[in-house]
Amino acid sequence: MDERAPLPTLLLIPTGIGCDVGGYAGDALPSARLLAAASGCLITHPNVMNGAALYWSDPRIQYVEGSSLDRFAAGELLLRPVRRQRLGLLLDAGIEPELRQRHLQVADGCRATLGLDIGPVVTTEVPLDVSLSLGASGISWGQLGQPQALLQAGQQLKAAGATAIAVVARFPDDPDSAALAAYRQGSGVDALAGAEAVISHLLSRELGLPCAHAPALSPLPLDPDLDPRAAGEELGYTFLPCVLVGLSRAPDLLPVGSDLALVTPGTSTIAIDAVGAVIAPAGALGGAAVLACAERGIPVIAVDNPCLLDVGAEALGLEVLRAGNYAEAAGLVLALREGLAPAALGRPLPSLREIA
Amino acid sequence: VLLQLERAPGPLRPQIETALRAHGEPLRWAITAVDPTADGPSLLQIEAVVCSPGFD
Repeated sequence: MDERAPLPTLLLIPTGIGCDVGGYAGDALPSARLLAAASGCLITHPNVMNGAALYWSDPRIQYVEGSSLDRFAAGELLLRPVRRQRLGLLLDAGIEPELRQRHLQVADGCRATLGLDIGPVVTTEVPLDVSLSLGASGISWGQLGQPQALLQAGQQLKAAGATAIAVVARFPDDPDSAALAAYRQGSGVDALAGAEAVISHLLSRELGLPCAHAPALSPLPLDPDLDPRAAGEELGYTFLPCVLVGLSRAPDLLPVGSDLALVTPGTSTIAIDAVGAVIAPAGALGGAAVLACAERGIPVIAVDNPCLLDVGAEALGLEVLRAGNYAEAAGLVLALREGLAPAALGRPLPSLREIA
Repeated sequence: VLLQLERAPGPLRPQIETALRAHGEPLRWAITAVDPTADGPSLLQIEAVVCSPGFD
């Protein structure tokens, strides 16, 4: 095989677990860009790519919502890269009129300035009633009071021709909380992230379309000590631009075994069998996608990226390649792409042993 | 949902998803802690969001 051929690689940085890299406003994006260059094809999820008002579009990066990534890793879905998606915009009825208008103006701005194909727009029949919570481990989770209203609006958009869906739900404001202050100063967990994941997981699973979420929140007062990693979320009135850009080239999700998955001339798909590596924080290896990849024998690159969890390779009995940071992980991906045995790059290099 | 699950031999993912289905359809889950026991199998802590039974 030509060593210039891409090595499809999964990059996973779970949302809401307080990762040093990737736990804030799309602050793993530089790492993703490097890994896209090293692999030639990086498959990753909104938490890695979404910087609120900031984003980066790269044809080597496939933007796939987390539950679809889990199903892709389990061999249930194929990914079909596309030139563009037609984005439906799903708005929570709980958003106040002025904030709603701000979001519609973002969508109009993305149409006018970036040339994205956006529309139709649907508002849920009742407010979605999002609530936030923390799990026993301290990571963020959330609940949705009106899941049926979300699904009905999503089905309306799909019936009207949307091929991907951006959701904006009203999230509870809590500007004085200690957790928000810690997050803005670079030492806390993203309290919104767990609920965001639940919304996009539910919608994508039920509709079979690429979906991603942006929370609607009131603007925060200026914080002079704002951590640079959280700054992307304080540049505008909404978190929506990155979601629209990410979804605009998100791959189609094709169920394995369905008629849709039959390859038509001129199109190509990515299957889990083609994936050459999966990269995850060394303390967060206990998620569905990493475990599914490990079951298939796909090399797992465990990156030192401190977070709230301590679920590592030894505890789970996994064999992994260890990397001290994402630059080192990119070197390992490049080695795998070139067909080099990663062990040959380390010292000491033990002698061969004969099987007894 | 917060679960404690004793690890059985074999792949972990099917064990976890089967245990979660007793509570509903798993939407998002993660192993959030692993406690090794003295001589027995380790104990996994699972945190999850599931769709309640009856939701469709």
